[in-house]
Amino acid sequence: MHISFLIFSAYGMGGTVRTTFNLAQALAEQHEVEVVSVFRYRDKPFFEPGPGVRLRSLVDMRRNSPTYDGANPERARPARVFPAADGQFSRHSALTDRRIGEHLAGTEADVVIGTRPGLNVHVARQTRRGPVRLGQEHLTLATHSARMKLLLSRVYPRLDAVTTVTEADARDYRRTLWLPGVRVEGLPNSVPEPQVTPSDGSRKWVVAAGRLAPAKRYDVLIRAFAQVVRERPDWGLRIYGHGRERDKLRNLIDELGLYNHVFLMGSAHPIEAEWVKGSICAVTSSLESFGMTIVEAMRCGLPVVATDCPHGPGEIIRNGQDGLLAPTGDVSAISGALLRLINDDQLRVEMGRAALTASARFDPSRVAARYEDLLTSLVNRPAGALHRARGTLLGGAYAARETVRRGVGHALEGARA
Amino acid sequence: MSGPSLDAPVRTTAAAPPPNASSPHGRTPHRLRADCTTHGDGSLTFDVRLSDETGKKAAAPEADEHAAVLLRLRHHHGPDASLSLPLTPAATDGGLRATLPATTWLREGRWDAYLAQGDEEPQRLLPGVHDLRSLLGGAHVDARAWLGVRIPYTTKHGNLTIRTWVRRPHAEAGTLRIDDATIALHGTLYGAQLSATACLEARPRDSAAPPVRIPVRPAQEEHSGRETAPQHTPGPHHPQHGFAAELPFTALLPGHRIWDLWLRPSADEEPVRVARILDDIPDKKHVFSYPSRHVASPDGTAHAVRPYYTVNNNLSVRVSYEAAKQEG
Repeated sequence: MHISFLIFSAYGMGGTVRTTFNLAQALAEQHEVEVVSVFRYRDKPFFEPGPGVRLRSLVDMRRNSPTYDGANPERARPARVFPAADGQFSRHSALTDRRIGEHLAGTEADVVIGTRPGLNVHVARQTRRGPVRLGQEHLTLATHSARMKLLLSRVYPRLDAVTTVTEADARDYRRTLWLPGVRVEGLPNSVPEPQVTPSDGSRKWVVAAGRLAPAKRYDVLIRAFAQVVRERPDWGLRIYGHGRERDKLRNLIDELGLYNHVFLMGSAHPIEAEWVKGSICAVTSSLESFGMTIVEAMRCGLPVVATDCPHGPGEIIRNGQDGLLAPTGDVSAISGALLRLINDDQLRVEMGRAALTASARFDPSRVAARYEDLLTSLVNRPAGALHRARGTLLGGAYAARETVRRGVGHALEGARA
Repeated sequence: MSGPSLDAPVRTTAAAPPPNASSPHGRTPHRLRADCTTHGDGSLTFDVRLSDETGKKAAAPEADEHAAVLLRLRHHHGPDASLSLPLTPAATDGGLRATLPATTWLREGRWDAYLAQGDEEPQRLLPGVHDLRSLLGGAHVDARAWLGVRIPYTTKHGNLTIRTWVRRPHAEAGTLRIDDATIALHGTLYGAQLSATACLEARPRDSAAPPVRIPVRPAQEEHSGRETAPQHTPGPHHPQHGFAAELPFTALLPGHRIWDLWLRPSADEEPVRVARILDDIPDKKHVFSYPSRHVASPDGTAHAVRPYYTVNNNLSVRVSYEAAKQEG
């Protein structure tokens, strides 16, 4: 198969870029794979696309480049295909509409995969007849605005399949949107086997990593760790990442007198080198559309203490076997779970080993095999094009009716976190 | 313009750069990565990857007697500012490995890592995936005459450099407790005895003012994050001595200045700079951060006092006027 990914920017350092490269690289072992980046802001991608994966871009935003597109007058006109409901709308324009449209109209791929709602709309509306159209959801339906949900319910019937990163979100899609004939599958993000040997659980560090953003609730983790330190002052907490919460978290650490025990480490790359220095991973988010860091830490042999927030952690961690789940925002429960692993060396080491074994199911080869099954069945589906023509018509009609019947604007708004 | 074909090997229109331009495949020359591992015996190994970042077989160095990892001390010249470590085939995967033995003395500073092959111009090495776990256990080079630390890190330009310290004796800063009136410092002294006349010296930087001397007492140190059973029992050449001292803020007031902290093991010994170097963090300044305290000098002037680590990981205290607070 010839598989073509469409991504906002393959040159950034976000989770979508990383997981797209992981999947693309694994698929490239058997298939022809390319990643098409709408924008190019840097000469060199932050993450490595991997062998066999072709990377190219449609709009060049490097100022010193001879093909610089930043001054193109088409950029002054707002996008009409890329939807205003997508958070990246302002970066798009008539120029991206045209370049993406030309790319999709002329593609020779057998499968085209969009990686965010706005691009999935492009894939649904502009891909020439023939290729399988797949839309990936890397966030969750519940976190989209009512306007976005309404749009997706109108446009996604023109896709052949929608993939979410959790089963929970796949259920949401099936329940909430009317997508006749569209396969909706939960396929997790993948994480490759680390290059370093796993942690042996002997070092007295709890490690956390991620953007210092409000939804990560590092304030909850720091408060929970204050309770840990009272009982076990010989343990420390390292938090990797940067973000706008940094100053607030710094002040909280100082206010709680934890400056000898809790450290804001800044960003680290590759993060696996840092996971293996620890013995426990902590994730205290209020929301994780997947929970990439949980899988990363498990692949490094760390048991994870995580909040049982929507959507990912509960699908990754088997509570009590390869990690511990605590109620979201519950400081005492989180510190209790951390202390349980800190105070029991054997339990910690056993759960770390279990995490190492269980997390192998997220290996890119395993996830790619599941994608391959899905894509193969879609490519080989008889009269696939016919289905879609029908789906397109039905989609529009049903969506309009659903809007009225369910009062989509209000019903869907409630689910926004 | 016609729709772009995904298979087109070269694109000449302005619609997008050539496919190869956005892929590292087209870049020359290929620069290689080295995975650094610190070992429990204090040695440091460089495993040079024989493939470039695209996974393609790169212009791999030949395992001849000329291939080496070259370390160059930044901003220095001369025989002790450069060190060549021969690359030999590693037993495990057929890759090439260079070893910096624990006993090799390196000047303190930043050593940039290069790949040297034959007569070619040495190429800057890129960082790989490092394993620095042994540094967390407090592993360091415990040679007879000095205590050495080597921490591989990535420079702001993305290159591989080794940060080194050589101290003898050495005063390692541990926990700092800051209350309303004092900084309580716990630390460990290596390679010297703590006498009854041992003291902590705060020396004003860029000033002829006399140092402030505070008595030091022996004390146990707690290291959060250190292993239960350290792999490294204290070396016979560097007996460890825990120490503690309380530095009152009033001794540093009034004024707007920086005080560097030193430890004098006894009245007739040279002082030792207090620093924090025995772990895996090359730059302490932004990671080990301490709260600022507001203190009034006897004449009522408001001051802010804050301990911090310098760019060389030495411990200092910054005292500054607080103009905004003077009214209140």
